[in-house]
Amino acid sequence: MAQDDKIIEQIVDRYDADVGMLIPMMQDLQAECGYLPLEQLHSLAKQLSLPLSRLYAVATFYASFHLAPKGAHEVTLCVGTVCYLKGAPKISEAISREFHVETGGTTRDRLFTFQAVNCVGACAVAPVMIVDGKYYNGVTPASALEVLYGLGKNETSVEKDGET
Amino acid sequence: MPTVTIDGCKVTVKKDETILDAARKAGIWIPTLCYHPAVPSDASCRLCMVELDRGDWRQLVTSCNYPVRRDIVVYVSSERAEAARRGVMELLLARAPESGELKALAERMGVYETRYPNVTESQRNCILCGLCVSVCEQIIGKAAIGFAGRGVDRAVAAPFRQPSEDCIGCGACAAICPVGTIKIRIHADEQEVEISPFKSRAKLLVCEQCGALVASKQVSEQALTRSNLNSEEFRASLRLCPKCRRLQTAGQLGAATFYKK
Repeated sequence: MAQDDKIIEQIVDRYDADVGMLIPMMQDLQAECGYLPLEQLHSLAKQLSLPLSRLYAVATFYASFHLAPKGAHEVTLCVGTVCYLKGAPKISEAISREFHVETGGTTRDRLFTFQAVNCVGACAVAPVMIVDGKYYNGVTPASALEVLYGLGKNETSVEKDGET
Repeated sequence: MPTVTIDGCKVTVKKDETILDAARKAGIWIPTLCYHPAVPSDASCRLCMVELDRGDWRQLVTSCNYPVRRDIVVYVSSERAEAARRGVMELLLARAPESGELKALAERMGVYETRYPNVTESQRNCILCGLCVSVCEQIIGKAAIGFAGRGVDRAVAAPFRQPSEDCIGCGACAAICPVGTIKIRIHADEQEVEISPFKSRAKLLVCEQCGALVASKQVSEQALTRSNLNSEEFRASLRLCPKCRRLQTAGQLGAATFYKK
């Protein structure tokens, strides 16, 4: 806990405790922890003399903030206009059904966090799915599931290569 | 001082008073929900819209936060203004179908049903006017509740949707809620007050004389720090319920006059 407080202190100092820099502070905290842990938000609110409800409002307003730990892999499905028309809802449905995960949620086994975003700028090759930064084009429900099942199988090897 | 002509009726108001102030002065009724004199107007409910004469066109404006700076002409009961307000009311009815307060106001406006499907989100019966959020932050100074999420998921909630540690159980949010969705629940056996639907609870003080439940401990402390009456005598009087306090004061007064004689 003492170390946790130190993280917050460093982040707050980085921005001279300027309340206007709340979002960058929260981004730094998320970069540090992978998500926004409750206790950390508590101490951040305390250090900035802001009500916790303000931090919660900001954290829930922006889709890029997460209040729960993320999965080992990041799966992003584009549901922008073109991907949507080319069948993204069916892919989303298939993933949700197969892995029991809602968009924005993480699978029970923390295998991956499933996010839906509005356009990744690759409309020509729609529908697009991004897994850990790797773009898959022309995805179908079947091919998407194949990729995701692959994650589970090579769990250990992927973990090792994850950084590269 | 600028003059506002409302439906042909002339009213003079101070600069920067609102169209709503002028209408109230003139005795002309404009329906409002999110307006409350205690907090600045957010104009979030859109129910107080009126038509403002712009010369060659008319603009719909929210009367509760439109400051009057020069002579203006507004129409409250024009066809367009009434249609706009009724339309808003229909949308609000779909958001808060179970609110008796809202239904009563709708009927006063001549709206008896809504053509829109009812909203079935987690926080139903909330019109998201933000009065509770404003009063908690600006008047009580606690900000125990706030807006969470955005778009269709927007809701008033305590942080992490858990009972709030900042809530003092004062019930200001319940008192100001225009649709009666926030409620004060008294749990007599636990001597606690609960603010529903936020599930925040606070321990209540008990009257030393009659055992009636008074305000929460935190409310009493806050009252003491806010007022400049932090004397032992005043603190002692707070340990009584209002009724016993009156009796005590009456008794003291009686004794005082008796001794004088």
